[in-house]
Amino acid sequence: MSVVTLTTKQGNGWRIPLQYALRELRGGLHGFYVFIACIALGSMAIAGVGSLAASLADGLAREGRVILGGDLSFTLIQREAVPSERAFLDGQGKLSRAATLRAMARTPDGKATLVELKAVDGAYPLFGEVKLDPPGPISDAFAQRNGAFGAAADPVLMARLDIKPGARMTIGNATIEIRAALTNEPDKFAGGIGFGPRLLVNEDALRATGLIQPGSLVRWIYRLRLPQNDATDAAAKAVTARARAQLPEAGWDIRNRNNASPQLERNVERFTQFLTIVGLTALLVGGVGVGNAVKSHLDRRREVIATMKALGASGRRVFAVYLTQVLLLALIGGLIGVALGAILPFVISWTFGAIIPLPFVPAMHPAELALALIYGLLTALAFALWPLGRAHDVPVGALFRDGVASQPRSPRKIYVALTAAAVIALASVAVLLAYDRRVAIIYVGVAALVFVALRFVASLLMAIARHAPRARSTVLRLAVANIHRPSALTPTIVLSLGLGIALLVTVIEIDGNLRRQFAAELPAKAPSFYFLDIPSDQATRFDAFVRAQAPGAALDEVPMLRGRIVSANGVPAENLKPKDDAAWVLQSDRGITYGGDIPTGSRLVEGQWWGPGYDGPPLVSFEKKIADGLGLKLGDPIVVNVLGRNISTTIANMRTVDWQSLGINFVMVFSPNAFRGAPATHLATLTYPAGSTTAQESAIIRAVAETFPMITTVRVKEALESIGAIVANMVLAIRGASAITLLAAALVLGGALAAGHRHKVYDAVILKTLGATRFRLLAAYTIEYLLLGSATALFGVLTGSLAGWLIVTDLMHLKFTWLPLPALAAALAAVVVTVALGLAGTFAALGQKPAPVLRNL
Amino acid sequence: MTNNSQAGGANAIELAGVNLSLGQGAARVHILKDIALNIGSGEAIGLVGPSGSGKSTLLMVMAGLERADTGTVAVAGENLDKLDEDALARFRGRNVGIVFQSFHLIPTMTALENVAVPLELAGVDDAQERARNELAGVGLGERLHHYPAQLSGGEQQRVAVARALAPNPAILVADEPTGNLDEETGQQIIDLLFAGHATRGTTLVLVTHDQSLAQRCGRVVRLRSGHIVSAS
Repeated sequence: MSVVTLTTKQGNGWRIPLQYALRELRGGLHGFYVFIACIALGSMAIAGVGSLAASLADGLAREGRVILGGDLSFTLIQREAVPSERAFLDGQGKLSRAATLRAMARTPDGKATLVELKAVDGAYPLFGEVKLDPPGPISDAFAQRNGAFGAAADPVLMARLDIKPGARMTIGNATIEIRAALTNEPDKFAGGIGFGPRLLVNEDALRATGLIQPGSLVRWIYRLRLPQNDATDAAAKAVTARARAQLPEAGWDIRNRNNASPQLERNVERFTQFLTIVGLTALLVGGVGVGNAVKSHLDRRREVIATMKALGASGRRVFAVYLTQVLLLALIGGLIGVALGAILPFVISWTFGAIIPLPFVPAMHPAELALALIYGLLTALAFALWPLGRAHDVPVGALFRDGVASQPRSPRKIYVALTAAAVIALASVAVLLAYDRRVAIIYVGVAALVFVALRFVASLLMAIARHAPRARSTVLRLAVANIHRPSALTPTIVLSLGLGIALLVTVIEIDGNLRRQFAAELPAKAPSFYFLDIPSDQATRFDAFVRAQAPGAALDEVPMLRGRIVSANGVPAENLKPKDDAAWVLQSDRGITYGGDIPTGSRLVEGQWWGPGYDGPPLVSFEKKIADGLGLKLGDPIVVNVLGRNISTTIANMRTVDWQSLGINFVMVFSPNAFRGAPATHLATLTYPAGSTTAQESAIIRAVAETFPMITTVRVKEALESIGAIVANMVLAIRGASAITLLAAALVLGGALAAGHRHKVYDAVILKTLGATRFRLLAAYTIEYLLLGSATALFGVLTGSLAGWLIVTDLMHLKFTWLPLPALAAALAAVVVTVALGLAGTFAALGQKPAPVLRNL
Repeated sequence: MTNNSQAGGANAIELAGVNLSLGQGAARVHILKDIALNIGSGEAIGLVGPSGSGKSTLLMVMAGLERADTGTVAVAGENLDKLDEDALARFRGRNVGIVFQSFHLIPTMTALENVAVPLELAGVDDAQERARNELAGVGLGERLHHYPAQLSGGEQQRVAVARALAPNPAILVADEPTGNLDEETGQQIIDLLFAGHATRGTTLVLVTHDQSLAQRCGRVVRLRSGHIVSAS
């Protein structure tokens, strides 16, 4: 026997797999377009969202001083700094003081509207630049001339009242002349969302209005610019520490440039997470496409794999070759997606820069891009490892017996383990990097459940089709057989279509619910107006006046103060560890009230109400959810700072509150004696039993503004419209991100149908050879796709509605109304698209003569 | 049981009591029935028989592509029953050259790369150089960088022969290698196979329907319904 021994070197590692993978790709990427597009779309969504959020975070961080208006800010509610506090602040650096409050602006022709009044001193702004149109120094613009104080107005205010620079208006007792439009207010985000347009004046004007009364809702903000050589974070912290140590009773809200607008940052982070989840869904949907593409690719390469094995390649080596190929393709898709995602902030800045109301610094963010690439690669692995594992066991016998159909079975344990590892890695990255891990864990769980459920639906459909009674119609029999035959498209179509419809319905439900609650209609029995800053001594007169103006409408009035929680259970507020949905209560001052009766709209759920005649130590009633979020229980001591004074109380009971009634409600309600003697103003609501007309509302605004110039009227519809505008932008962003996901779903569906195209053409040609007419074949395929599409659509509508309900109620804390018609319409459209896509591929084959096709099979 | 053996010299292939069934349940078919066959080293065997008699399956068993349900299969001194799948793959790469009726070249690789595959998989250092020589040996020295689709059927099969011979295998098996070729081209391929067998001392097992081709082999083994009916 003459066997020549081969000279070999051991273990050529990844060289051969890489070499072979590249050789296979030499013919181009044909057959991988869906694979690449799926990964590219998902990576683009995640890279885009990440880059946008990072650009926004950068903007907020870089502009921290400008947004805050200083290196440090000290906010006092309803009172100015006392001399000792003022002396302390003056000693730390350059100081600027501003005051903000809501007020009514009235024009000589009787128009009245709510404005967010801000009075500044000569040092304003410490950072950034105020821009006026026509340009000029603010000291000139605000100076008193010809019996009127100057002001710069938000262009929105000028449009609303139809006035131009030079126009005069009255605020409280002061006459204000608009001298310029306010085109840039550097520190406008520090105060959060305003309900009215800004009117900027100087302190003299504010004092002349007479609106600063004891108890009126004015915020005094003292901004510090630290000395140039000591404007470090450490210095800012040191000043904060000194302020707390030297003036523990001040009760001021201290912020530094690094947390200029924590609420805004929190909202940006929360919204980013939401969009990331939508992006992740795009990747998951795309993952299905990757799995399908890999399976179909390996099916086509069966002969090559068998040949390689016949030539000495082990199953492991075959796996390595195709794994390398998948990784290369995923890398191509990922890089395309990341490149597109990276330019998204620039594109948004160029196209929408002018209308983005936030400091936005478009830039490349390598960490976000790398993360998107990792997501893309992990998704590709999670979905490709299973079919790749099957390649290990492709029998060489396939070369000898063309007729032997592949038997789908689970891959070897090692590949099952590798798949599990990739899935776990993907889920872990999603959870560990999430802003809110609870939400991320729920998402991962729901996604897994949906995948399993869709697989179950597919198996169920196949089982039903298999056991269905034999139809007499050949067409129907063929359609039913197509659903359950061994290489049926049922699992892939159900998965891709099911995910697509579920997502579409989820977005439709969220979208519809947000619109209903903020833009479309007010809740039943919602008040039409809030009246703020009603002086105690005018409350009775105001009451009588409004009742006379609006007979039949209900006026609800309570005293109101602003207060901050200083400590709970002996723990200072800043050291408390609240749950996410309760943290806002500690962020700044909150409206509080007191009274002898349980407020309307509240329900007592724990403890005893103190009753109208209570005269014991101060007690407080807490909203139950918030108390739970802060870890508080009955009997816990709470210290609140009201008007600079710390007041110690004990939690006497808990209430639940229906916030969405929009009635007057407070987290904390105190016993009547808690603030004895404190100068409270009153807050009132006016509710028309059958709703109010615009004419009625305009008349009330005008009448109250004329008779009670100190009282601020907030039209609830207008306030909701302000929020509605923000919600509309949010919905737009959600729709944008979801569109990417839907595109991925359509691609996956198209890919799945294309993968089955070969079988369909074969079937069609054979059946035509045997005498089937084109019409009968078309009818059979239509019925097949309709049956599959309808069953999947039903599942999609159910799952999507469930997901929508979960997000609206659990994440957004809003009431959910199921909107069945849009959901069903969307599902129907998806089914029509499926049937059309499915038939489009087969239609061409139906027109062909069988012989040429048969020769090429 | 039929026991056919060639006297003299070490056996390149030894089959004893080989049974093989394929398919599942009611569709299960007993294809090879109690096969015993010894093939001497350097011998040329023609496997003939009607369609469905089990020729190709027997060839696959000899090449380590299919496992027998019962019996023993020893090829080039190695008992194949004892090898796991990966070991079998390595064994094939070094010891068995296979030529298929449908060529089975890898469409995305050039002629040169196709021939180099078994050498590269076996970790041979100068795989490309040796592949080049093999292709020159089958008259395709000028077609090294052509893809299968750019070659005629005869040229593709010549590449397949070069690929099968490249690792200098102990056993060369060919399953109807001329089935898809015209007579003249088929003759060239057969000449190449026999030349390889003669010059390298490779054991040749040839499955064919062509009686005259079978007669070129030193011995003809006839199969019918999974049994060896004669070996002359």
